Amino acid sequence: MKDLSENIIRFRWGIILLFIGVTVLFALQIPKVQIDTEIKSNLPKDMPSRLATDRIDKLFGGTEMLMVLVQTDDVITRETLSRVKKLSRKIKRIKGVDKVMSLFDLQSIKSENGMMVVDPAVKTIPKNAAECEEIRKDIMGNDLVYGSVVAKDFSLTAIIAMLKTNTKDEEIVPAFQKVIKEVPGKETVQLGGLPLNRFETGTGIRKDMRVLLPLGILIMLLFLYGCFRRLRGVLLPFIVTVMSIIVSLGIIYLIGWKIQMVTVILPIFLIAVANNYGIHMIAKYQEDNIPSNNFSKKELAKRMFRSLGKPVLLTGLTTMAGMLCLLGHIMVPARQLGILSAIGILFALSASLFFIPALMSFLPRSKPVRSYLEDNYKKKPVIERLLWLFGEVISRHPKKVLTVLLLFTLVSAIGIFRVVVDTNPNSYYPPDHPTVIVNNLIDEKLGGSQNVAIVYQGDIKDPKIMNKIEKTEHALAKMDEIGTTISIARVLRMMSRTLNDSTSSHYNKIPETRDGIAQYFELYAMSGDPDDFNKLVDFPREHAIVTARINRTSTAVLSGVIKRIKKMVQGDPDVLLVGGFGVVLSDLAEAVVKGQLLSLIMAIGICSILIMLLFGSFNAGVVSAIPLVFSMVILFGLMGVFSIELNIVTALLSSIMIGVGIDYTIHFLWRYREERRSGLDAVAAVKKTLATTGRGITFNAFSVMIGFVALFFSAFLPVRFFGFLVVVSIMACLIGALVLVPAVVLLWKPKFLEEK
Amino acid sequence: MRFYFLFISFCLTTGVIAQEKLTALEIVNRAQDVLRVKGVQAVSVLRIIDEKGRERVRKIKQVTKLYDNGETEKKLIRFIEPADVKGTALLTFDYNNKEDDLWVYVPTLRKVRRIVSSEKSKSFFGSEFTYADMSPPSADDFDFRLLGDEKVNDVLCYKVEWKPKNDDVAEENGFSRRVTFSGKDDFVVRKSIYYDLDGELYKELIVHGIKELDTKNHKYRYMNSEAINKQNGRRSTFVNEKIEFNPDVDDKYFTTQYLERE
Repeated sequence: MKDLSENIIRFRWGIILLFIGVTVLFALQIPKVQIDTEIKSNLPKDMPSRLATDRIDKLFGGTEMLMVLVQTDDVITRETLSRVKKLSRKIKRIKGVDKVMSLFDLQSIKSENGMMVVDPAVKTIPKNAAECEEIRKDIMGNDLVYGSVVAKDFSLTAIIAMLKTNTKDEEIVPAFQKVIKEVPGKETVQLGGLPLNRFETGTGIRKDMRVLLPLGILIMLLFLYGCFRRLRGVLLPFIVTVMSIIVSLGIIYLIGWKIQMVTVILPIFLIAVANNYGIHMIAKYQEDNIPSNNFSKKELAKRMFRSLGKPVLLTGLTTMAGMLCLLGHIMVPARQLGILSAIGILFALSASLFFIPALMSFLPRSKPVRSYLEDNYKKKPVIERLLWLFGEVISRHPKKVLTVLLLFTLVSAIGIFRVVVDTNPNSYYPPDHPTVIVNNLIDEKLGGSQNVAIVYQGDIKDPKIMNKIEKTEHALAKMDEIGTTISIARVLRMMSRTLNDSTSSHYNKIPETRDGIAQYFELYAMSGDPDDFNKLVDFPREHAIVTARINRTSTAVLSGVIKRIKKMVQGDPDVLLVGGFGVVLSDLAEAVVKGQLLSLIMAIGICSILIMLLFGSFNAGVVSAIPLVFSMVILFGLMGVFSIELNIVTALLSSIMIGVGIDYTIHFLWRYREERRSGLDAVAAVKKTLATTGRGITFNAFSVMIGFVALFFSAFLPVRFFGFLVVVSIMACLIGALVLVPAVVLLWKPKFLEEK
Repeated sequence: MRFYFLFISFCLTTGVIAQEKLTALEIVNRAQDVLRVKGVQAVSVLRIIDEKGRERVRKIKQVTKLYDNGETEKKLIRFIEPADVKGTALLTFDYNNKEDDLWVYVPTLRKVRRIVSSEKSKSFFGSEFTYADMSPPSADDFDFRLLGDEKVNDVLCYKVEWKPKNDDVAEENGFSRRVTFSGKDDFVVRKSIYYDLDGELYKELIVHGIKELDTKNHKYRYMNSEAINKQNGRRSTFVNEKIEFNPDVDDKYFTTQYLERE
């Protein structure tokens, strides 16, 4: 360490230029980084549900759709229908729209005086009340629209646009918004659908990047000044932070990744965490820089490195290790965040260890800080007084302190059982957000917004398979959570009702022979739109799809339904796959839980091992794991108590908490051992450690908490909750390190901390 | 109308047409007229090919005959192949000035059912052809513009633009613009280009093997045609394997009773 500190001073110019050069290089990459808002991108490409859903898209054409909802007391009026017609006509002309499904475009196939009448569901705008009632009656008998395009209580109707593949959200969504503006009326008109969700997510990400970053930086600057009261105490950790953010954002492009919703956490994470190492260095500098010590500026710089090099290095390594444990997630953005933040931390760590001392060696000694000059604790700032109090209480009543903390932990543990997993993108937004309102409307009135699909493979014209398809669709339709279902079997049955008189044995039945089915198919091709058909059976008639729409937002309910469906078709050789967006969300939920557990265990394990290595003792790992478990229980307990869901964002918490929170314990143990080795008894060493390193630890923890406060202003609910939970869990880690660990150390007196 | 036909036939036979003076509307009317054959019997193959090159093949028998001085075309289509749909049949009465009549026969049900449908933009048996391609839409619904002359397969053609007069027509026919190329000598449309409702190119229809079936009245049919969907890569071909002019087709073919007979 001594040689290295000499070298830092010797090569200080080189070090400074190197760090600046690297930063500039990465800064140039940032403008090239792109945003990715696709929910599917959260799952790895080889995930079964993602593969299944891609396969469905290939077999039955794109399933992407945008919906315009028209809501009023009664949609079957001359005025409202005229508006719907105008809207649907304009939407049809939007570039990128493949096909429109609305009351004016979907068909009604009915039997009338022995004729099969194929017409649009609403053929003409009604002129009077009698005509309105006729239309209403027609619609109620039309399986293809009633309850899916028009609400059963007629308070809502949808114009659904199927989009061509490769349409860009940022082009098509504004085009729809423009059309809605161009056709005014008294009805409430709203836009919905996944492309809109993605568009909103993209807008949210851009807004977050614009708002959160400057806000986080501002908060950090104020905080640093509050801590150190010296310009260099503010600027040096700040410069390191900004440099590490630049590097980690720039690398996104170099690796070929894109920014996702979860990535908005990255800069905030770095603002909160990357300055930690710098803060400890500055705190040490200020501790040494008192008039009684007559160190030169070079000497002060060397001391910073020498005394803190090892613990700072270790805290950096544990943070990186914790973040890399995010690789235990199969969610793509979690893995990316893990790697990106580890890179950012690596950069911040090396900058704090080399760049800061190198720079400091040029700067003249600054004015000493009050807290190190005062001996009377009552005149010291509040944090120092609090730390002094901790020292007094813990050293007098270690058992009581431990008991209280244990009881608190047990009570929090009850909340853990109430933690709910949620992966619905609807939950990104508050309940009054238009996206949420629209999805709830679709769930409530139009059959559901999430879909599950079962694909059958074989000779679809074979009545055996066709009957299976029908049976499956029936079973699905009976489930409470399923709003509407559609399959080729339903269309055939509908045709049988129009082709046959109600007394016929063929009425309301699937044809009994293969030829019969083939002829119905042909007949439909004559009178219907082949594109409708292609969404249900593929071109060679080898695959058919049964689609069900789920009308609940709860991920647990969704997962339950999908489990039941999978069980229902399990072992059927004619079933090729079960897929759809609903299955993706359900898989995502499973991934969240699995990833959470895996990353948690990995993080605790790896961090403990690192500490064992540092202190050369197994017990060191055990002692440091205690505050982690304590904080973990409180974190999940509070999530349960406050009904905060475990989702793709909050699932990242535990790794971050462990990686960052373990630092406080390391700093405490390291200093405590030093004090013991310098001859202090256990109680005196605890008090001294709390008063000295305790200050750095507290600043460090508060800087993290305050840094994450910026997340409260995110456009996304999960990110806001994430911010809140980070504050809570870091607080728990801080209490763990400053109260729990000292109490444990005083009671246990582990050997690795004793004087040699 | 009758006088008009006579006039045209007169012009054609005497060759005194002052071609430059024809308006776009006249060209379109002539183009539609030269396809009105008094009676035709044909065996044809419809091939529907998807974007991956997979095929669905239908072999059909067709009989058509003109009634009411060419105002109504009656047509019987019956499937010969594949076996599972063999016997399925379709009878249409295509009126010039009112909605068409349509009946289908489904062999497994042994039953004729009348179908009422208003849309012309509908696909013809699930192919890229539409009923509108098979029986031309009423010229009254469009505005026409002569865009000049252009060669198609070495034949100099009139290039005419069709624009639907209103949104209803556009929607019913499924296009916002169509450009046709009619041969300058025979007026037969050799190529049509369709633009979808948002103005994008979406379909091309090309015909080959033009045959003068009725040499006396100069009426034509083409031996094969191809529709290519430029947006999704699907295409369909329609090939007349056998086609003959028969002005005296038996009227009994065009009855629902005959439809039931296989």
